[in-house]
Amino acid sequence: MIKARAGGLLFLLTGIYGLVYSRSLPMGRWNEPGPGGFPFGLALLLVFSGIMTIARGKGEKEEEQKGKGRDFLRNLITPLLIVLLTLGFILSLEWAGYVTSVVVYLFILFFGICRYRLPLAAGMAGVFGLGSWYLFVKILGVQLPLSFWGL
Amino acid sequence: MDVIGNLLAGFQTALGLHNIYLCFIGCLFGTMVGVLPGIGPLVGISLLIPATYGIDATGAIIMLAGIYYGAMYGGSTTSILMNIPGESASVITCVDGYQMTQKGRGGAALFISAWGSFVGGNLSILGLMILAPLLANFATRFGPPEIFAVLMLAFILLGSLGSGSFFKTMPMIFLGMFLGTVGMDPLTGNFRFTHGVKDLYDGIGFVPVAMGAFGIGEILTVTEESLVRVIHKVRMRELLPTREELRASWGPIFRGSGLGFLIGILPGSAHVLSSFVSYAVEKKVSSHSEEFGTGRIEGVAGPETANNAATGGAMIPFLGIGIPTGPATAVMMIALMIHGIRPGPLFISEQPQIFWGLIASMYIGNVILLILNLPLVGIFINLLRVPFRILFPLVLIICLVGTYSVSSSTFDLLILLGSGVFGYIFRKLKYDLAPFILALIIGPLLEVSLRQSLMRSDGSFSIFWNSPISLTLLGVSSLLFVWNLITTLKPKSTWKKVLEQE
Repeated sequence: MIKARAGGLLFLLTGIYGLVYSRSLPMGRWNEPGPGGFPFGLALLLVFSGIMTIARGKGEKEEEQKGKGRDFLRNLITPLLIVLLTLGFILSLEWAGYVTSVVVYLFILFFGICRYRLPLAAGMAGVFGLGSWYLFVKILGVQLPLSFWGL
Repeated sequence: MDVIGNLLAGFQTALGLHNIYLCFIGCLFGTMVGVLPGIGPLVGISLLIPATYGIDATGAIIMLAGIYYGAMYGGSTTSILMNIPGESASVITCVDGYQMTQKGRGGAALFISAWGSFVGGNLSILGLMILAPLLANFATRFGPPEIFAVLMLAFILLGSLGSGSFFKTMPMIFLGMFLGTVGMDPLTGNFRFTHGVKDLYDGIGFVPVAMGAFGIGEILTVTEESLVRVIHKVRMRELLPTREELRASWGPIFRGSGLGFLIGILPGSAHVLSSFVSYAVEKKVSSHSEEFGTGRIEGVAGPETANNAATGGAMIPFLGIGIPTGPATAVMMIALMIHGIRPGPLFISEQPQIFWGLIASMYIGNVILLILNLPLVGIFINLLRVPFRILFPLVLIICLVGTYSVSSSTFDLLILLGSGVFGYIFRKLKYDLAPFILALIIGPLLEVSLRQSLMRSDGSFSIFWNSPISLTLLGVSSLLFVWNLITTLKPKSTWKKVLEQE
């Protein structure tokens, strides 16, 4: 029931946001529709869909599972850590450079999340980090930010 | 005949060493992304977009198309040998394919899968080269009202045929279209929902959203589970099917070709849908329907043929009228636009060397894929021995660099990550992401065509029913909409239930 309604809530909130902010855009006239009309219409549809989804979700059954809440939180840890690490990589990419950022990123993934031993994690991070730089920059010609040590 | 003359000219283009090399790279890469669970053709095509900057448009689309149909070949390998679908279109192949492996007939399943994909792929290319020019000719009569009507029909079909229910798919379409309004209004230049953020002035990039939702979202979902892989070995001499298996495969292969091609034209999860429908049809027509699920060759031949045949069908609206019907063709459209070419009704007549070169290369590509997926299948099986704990960080790097390579923007990387979280959440909530992605890219076309139509008609909606084409298309859309309303009150059909569970 919670899952069924969560989606509806997301649609409803997005629709409300759209209704509020599209009102500040010119709506135009029927013979010259402005930029606000289409998003306003979509926002209305999202609000309607959200309400319908929440209402329909009320009738849906979900299996009761013992310890479901604990499992849910436990399952969330690894994805959450990956998201936070990836955010760190993104924020450090342009000031630290690609090679530095990717080697550190891969090391933390291999050691902290994948649970490889320290020397193996460090070795793989170095190999894959430098290998990816070579593949993307030298072979595929992708422009990536330089590290402070020139690579 | 014009078609034969054009095809011969296309072979002249495609048989150039440079284009054969690009076709091979695309097919090889496509098979690899199809074999590896968690990476689909969308990520593969997005990653190779920067590699196309230094080559001509013909070579670019030959390579990217190779990834697209190559992934359909590769996806069956893991389904048959490991009971893990390498690609979403190969989900149903797990049912009978893995059972055949358990009985020691995995090699025969791989052979029939590759052979069916070859036949289905070639027959669908034949359909593509006949129908796409006809559709393009017809579409030159399209103005804004007709384009609006086509897109409305596409969206209603997407809602009807998507893997989720109509009332779960339509909100995803609305959400995708709403996100597509972010940025500068194409008609007036007003900025919408940008809140002063300069990086949003050009709108939200499709590539980071698609790669995030499908690539990173998939990884976040899979890292919740622990994957224990048992890979069955296949020896070369076990590849050949028995005479009985070959005889039993022909019917499903030809039926799958037709079904897959027709379903491929429709928007949505065409590859997934075609494979499921084919399986359902084969089970229905078989005199051994009770044995389906225990290792029937028909349960492999039909779906694998259908999902490859859907590739040719999907190319028809993409190349003929410039409307992509799936995420992979949408990314290919972006790749062509980077080269200054926009597929549409005039594409085939103005760029015949690209269109016919692509057609010819697809015939060549199917031969390459048959060789890669039969005698050389062992190479790809070895890829599966790479532990997932090593694979997923590399996939993350591929997604991040692939996105950065398109726009060199850290903001797009944040969009990528945000879309990954979005994709993860909506997978948990059992929503289909493909309609959202499609709506993001073709929603703006719908808006522009609607507003242009109203401007032409001085605000009157009669412009939509004064044109016989738009009247017909909108009429069909309305009927489909009503049909969907009615069927939501009825119990779901078996294949719909299975699709929703997937």
